[in-house]
Parts: sequence; structure tokens; C-alpha cells
Amino acid sequence: MAGGELKYDMSQNAYIKLVLHALKHRSSAVNGVLLGRSNDDVVEIADSVPLFHNHLGLLPPLEISLIMIEEYYIAQGLGIVGYFHANERFDDAELDNVAKNIGDHIYRYFPQAAILLLDNKKIEALPKGKDRSPVMQLYTRDASKNWKLAGSDGGSRLILKEPAANIVLLDFISSQKWQDVVDFDDHLDDITKDWLNPDLFK
Amino acid sequence: MVTKTEETQLNRLEGQVENGGGGAWDYLCFVRKLKVRRSDKVLKYGLSILNDPKKRSSLGPEEWTLYEQVAIAAMDCQCLDVAKDCINVLQKRFPESKRVGRLEGMLLEAKGSWTEAEKAYLSLLEDNPLDQVIHKRRVALAKAQGNMSEAIEFINKYLEIFMADSDTWRELAEIYVSLQMYKQAAFCYEELILAQPTVPLYHLAYADVLYTLGGLENLQAAKKYYSSAIELTGGKNTRALFGICLCTSAIAQLTKGRNKEEKDSPDLQSLATAALEKDYKQRASDKVSVLGSALKSLKVSS
Repeated sequence: MAGGELKYDMSQNAYIKLVLHALKHRSSAVNGVLLGRSNDDVVEIADSVPLFHNHLGLLPPLEISLIMIEEYYIAQGLGIVGYFHANERFDDAELDNVAKNIGDHIYRYFPQAAILLLDNKKIEALPKGKDRSPVMQLYTRDASKNWKLAGSDGGSRLILKEPAANIVLLDFISSQKWQDVVDFDDHLDDITKDWLNPDLFK
Repeated sequence: MVTKTEETQLNRLEGQVENGGGGAWDYLCFVRKLKVRRSDKVLKYGLSILNDPKKRSSLGPEEWTLYEQVAIAAMDCQCLDVAKDCINVLQKRFPESKRVGRLEGMLLEAKGSWTEAEKAYLSLLEDNPLDQVIHKRRVALAKAQGNMSEAIEFINKYLEIFMADSDTWRELAEIYVSLQMYKQAAFCYEELILAQPTVPLYHLAYADVLYTLGGLENLQAAKKYYSSAIELTGGKNTRALFGICLCTSAIAQLTKGRNKEEKDSPDLQSLATAALEKDYKQRASDKVSVLGSALKSLKVSS
């Protein structure tokens, strides 16, 4: 499969938004979707939308959010290209079945789909080190339809478009910007809250 | 559950304390009363009182309550030294106390000493088999180790004794949902609706689980429970309104080509659609067009 060569190029804003969302809800699992487009052997992840921090396994809120997100981004030529997940427990580095099922669903419409799983250990080490690689692990679907951790061979296929993204992220964390992230759960509870987070990067 | 007014009040108080306006003790009492989790703030402002002998002694016997509150907050923030200091003070004052024993068990948990924590809890349960908090700690302990089947087993045992504890039924339902055991989750919500028939949240969650299960019968039942959630909230529940639209669309897809009479009340969907459109127009006008096309795509597919 040519999928082995496929690279995922993620924009800083898409990246930071998802990490901040997970930091806002530290004691629960959270998820989100990746928006972008594919060019030859690169999937460009241009934006992201934080989805939920409660009841990740229920369909109705997920379906509504995906429909609305798709309708919004289609006008910009972007589609759903992947899924982001952060586990409830700090030391849990496994991709759970809910995440896999949602990934499968996205895969049906976008075969190069990726699942990104938050890497808690890397996040914890972020302030100490000078690691420029993303604090997420990339999973792709292999020929036998299983989600497999990619890039364990060293050559990472998930790339941050802006090399200083982690420095900017640290800055956002230290100024407690995560408090301002709005997800789709918040929107469904109070529709005045905007899941596009237009003010987050102002 | 915390009401909106309570939350506003809490946030106002928190802002006041944060900006040096005083009222730290009132804030801490309010956090305890609402049982909310604001560990970082509790740790900061609780310590500021405990470290000031004058302020501390002015609390009288409440001093010990504060030590306990700060100990728990410190464990949540992984400040285990602070937690240990607080627990030591309490231990000196109440040497035989079970309540302090519970804190010691929690400290073992916070350190990740799972086996020792479990041992401590089991010995506390021997003395008092009906200690609800200890039972719940054991569930938390199983969850912390990722052992969900044990957590479920403990909760079920607990519910055999304390079957009126609705928070625990909710916890169980949420675990089942996270494991995609929807039938079991549905059972929990049925119990909750029977016990508290006027809480819209349970109707909504039950409907969500039924919809996720799928199948004509479940979808039709889901629609009814979305309707009752809407009724119980005076038409103000966005999730339930969307739920009606999803159900109608999914039911229509399943019954395509079948008898027309099965298409019950198509006006329910128009009512839900109209309510959503009106609400978005008033409160989220920039999302009206996205909402419109989303609702349209649900109708087209039906």
C-alpha cells in the first residue's frame, strides 16, 4: 500500500486547539476532528474542532456535530480527514474501541484518515525538553483494517507545519489559555458558545 | 448537581478571592457544599489560611475540616508532601479516626500503591461494612488501574445495598457507555427514570443510548424520550431537539417503501426544526446557515 509513504502535515492552530481541549478536561476523555485535504502523498491538516468531554460513546451528539462541521468546512474546500482522542487516564496509552469505531467511520469517507492519540508522557516532558515533535501519536489503518501505531521506526509521518509549535503551545499553557477552548458539548449545552473558537488565537 | 445560579455565585466568589478581595473561607465552604472539584484553587487558598496561625485558629473546630479539604485537594494536584503534612496533623488530633484512615488510604492511592491502598480500604470495611465512601474509593481504585470489569463488579455490589444512590447509577451508566455496552447502560437509565421521573437529563441520556443501539423499535422509543425531555425542559433542550430530527430521519430510512401509516407525526420534526431555527436565529445567528444545511441534509436522506 502506498499509505506507508503518506505524511500528515498539521497546522499549529489545529494542533494547539486539540491539546488545550484535552488540558481543559484533564479528568475525562476528550475527542475532536481534523479538517483538511489531501495532495498526492501529503494529508494537510489545516484546522480542528474539539468535540466532546462527556459520553464519547453516544451517537446522536457525534452525528449532529459531524454534519454541522462538514457543512461549515465544505465551503472552504476542507473535509474531515481524521480524528483526535485523549484518554481518561494519564498512564493509558491504548487506543480504545470508541476511538477505533469513530476512526472506521471517517475512514469510510476518507481512506487516508488518521487517528491522533494524545501522548501524556510527552506533554508532561514538554516544559523540560526541547522536543519539537508533536505530543500525539499517529495511528493509520493497515491492509488488515486494524489501526496501527505509525512511525515507531523513527521516521515520523506526523509533522508540524510550524517548527516552533511546541514553544507556542507552552506559552498558551502557561497563560492558561485552555480555559477558553469551546467544544461541541459546550455548544449543545449553550448554543451561544462557538465551536469554531474564533477568539482563541487572537 | 450544581445549578446555574450556584455556579455563577461560585465563580464570582472565586474571582473575588483571586483578586485579593478576601472571602477565602467562604469560598472554600461553598466548594465543599457544592462538592465541586477546584483542587488547584482549594489548595492555594486553603494553604494560605492554614499557614497563617491567626486565621487558622479563628476557624475554631472547623480548622480540622479545612485540613481534610486541603489534603484531598493536594492529592488531586499531586502535591503529596502537603497532603501528608495535613494528614499527619489530623492523625495527631484524632488518632483512632476512621475518617483519617480513609485519607491515609487515599494517599496510598495518590502514590500509586494500589495493593496497599486496597488493603487499607478492606480493613476499614471490616470495621464498618456500610461505609459508602470506602466502597466508592474501591471503585475509583479499580478505575485508576484501568480494571473496568472490577469497577463494574464493585459498583453492582454497592448498588445491591444502596440502590437509591442515583449518582452511582449514573456512574455505572457512564462506564457502560464508555465500553459500548449500551444495553446495560440503557438499564441503568431506566432505573434512574423510575426513581426520578422528572429529571430531563435521564430522559435525554436514555434516548441517546436507545438511538445508539439502533433498530426501529429503539429509534421509536428514543423519539418518545427526546419528546419527554423537551417537555420537561419547556422546549429548551437543544440536544433533544436535534435528537428528534435524527430519529425521524433514521426511522424514515428504515421504513422506506413500507406502509405510509407507520410514518407517525411528521409534524414533530417540523416543530423541532422550527424551534432549533428560531433559537439559533436569536442566539447564534452566525451558525444559522450551517444549521439550515445540516437539517436539510437530514431531511433529504429521509
